[in-house]
Amino acid sequence: MNKANKPELIIDGRRTDGRNLEDLRSVKIESGVLDNADGSAMVEWGNNKIIAGVYGPREVFPKHFSDPYKAVVNFRYVMCSFSSLEEHSRGGPNRRSIEISKMGKHVFENLILTEQFPNTAIDIDVEVLQSDGGTRVAAFTAASVALVDAGIPVKGFAGGVSVGKVDGRLAVDLNKIEDNYGESDVPVMFNSSNSEILLLQMDGLLTREEYERSIDLCYEASKKVNALQVDSIKKKME
Amino acid sequence: MEKKIVTPGELLFDFPKRLSGAYVENGKTYSSVVGVLSEGFFIPLRGRYAPFPGDLIVGVVMEERFSGYLVDVNAPFPGVLDSRDLRVEFRIGDLLVARVDSVDEVSNLVLVDPKKLLKGEVIEVGAVSVPRIIGRNNSMIDMVRNITKSEVFVGKNGRIFIKNGNAALAAEAVRKIADEAHTSGLTEKIKNFLEARTNEQSK
Repeated sequence: MNKANKPELIIDGRRTDGRNLEDLRSVKIESGVLDNADGSAMVEWGNNKIIAGVYGPREVFPKHFSDPYKAVVNFRYVMCSFSSLEEHSRGGPNRRSIEISKMGKHVFENLILTEQFPNTAIDIDVEVLQSDGGTRVAAFTAASVALVDAGIPVKGFAGGVSVGKVDGRLAVDLNKIEDNYGESDVPVMFNSSNSEILLLQMDGLLTREEYERSIDLCYEASKKVNALQVDSIKKKME
Repeated sequence: MEKKIVTPGELLFDFPKRLSGAYVENGKTYSSVVGVLSEGFFIPLRGRYAPFPGDLIVGVVMEERFSGYLVDVNAPFPGVLDSRDLRVEFRIGDLLVARVDSVDEVSNLVLVDPKKLLKGEVIEVGAVSVPRIIGRNNSMIDMVRNITKSEVFVGKNGRIFIKNGNAALAAEAVRKIADEAHTSGLTEKIKNFLEARTNEQSK
């Protein structure tokens, strides 16, 4: 990104897409969208469009990866070749998606009650169909709903959002332009039941006060995401 | 008391209680799957089959070994049939009904008393809806059997074997029960559904 042609991101307290600093984009979550997966979910988060499928618990392959004390969680995050404004010459793993897959594995290892299923694997596949910033939290949000849809025992929902510093001010739920030209980006996810932090990464710099404030902002936003996740599951039960 | 649909992470009881579909944290019980809370009971609505000794299950032969067969029982791990106890031979893909003899904490699942299932179809529903398909004192399953004139065998693992009679209608009814397992007045609803369909077809 060339910082020289950086657009003005906040004008009169409004952001590029007309939101206030603490507004989320419109979030739509639907569960059970795939027939062939054990559980699935689709999330439309602003312009992000993400689909998640879950399988398991099932046999581990290759077998020597299995753990006799708990289930192995495999997380696969992939961006489609047509998902972004820039060219993603082809789909499949790259440096970025390998990192996010690893983060997803750690998030869900701490959320799933893995000790109930020794010697098995739980596979979570997430496909980003369209991206506009914040796909990491949106992908994990979708995966969390898909896990519940599959009936895999979890401690709660993983919900969250990324907060960043844009034009010197903290803004909730960054979109792509804000992410690219902003000074910092902090994605945070919480366990809906005990408010444990499941994911916390930071790109760029923040002061200690700004960091603490952004965790608080994320926490408030995560409650809104949790409510939508619960609704998407309950809707299927009607 | 009213029935309440519960999603994972919700507080069920403020005292520790060991039950399926729940976990205990800091001395309190929380749900871990989607379920229904009514009159102090929590009934899970989603989840995989967890084998228990004595269960009658419908399995598919997956693999043949010197010592016996590996059987897919819709659980996270396969069941084992020891060929020393067997008088019949199976081929890969055969359907069978068997009893769970034992299951241990390292996922060894031993099956006994296998019986081949022939000339029928198997449908798969969630193992959690099996009690609903059977109904109180077999009321639901007997009704499906009487109206469709089919032989219906419900495996504890959520596989249902249907043979003879109006098998298609019986399968449809079983799927309907599984989909609406959390609603009340289901027996009446299914009865109306089956009667309407049989009248329609006899015209």
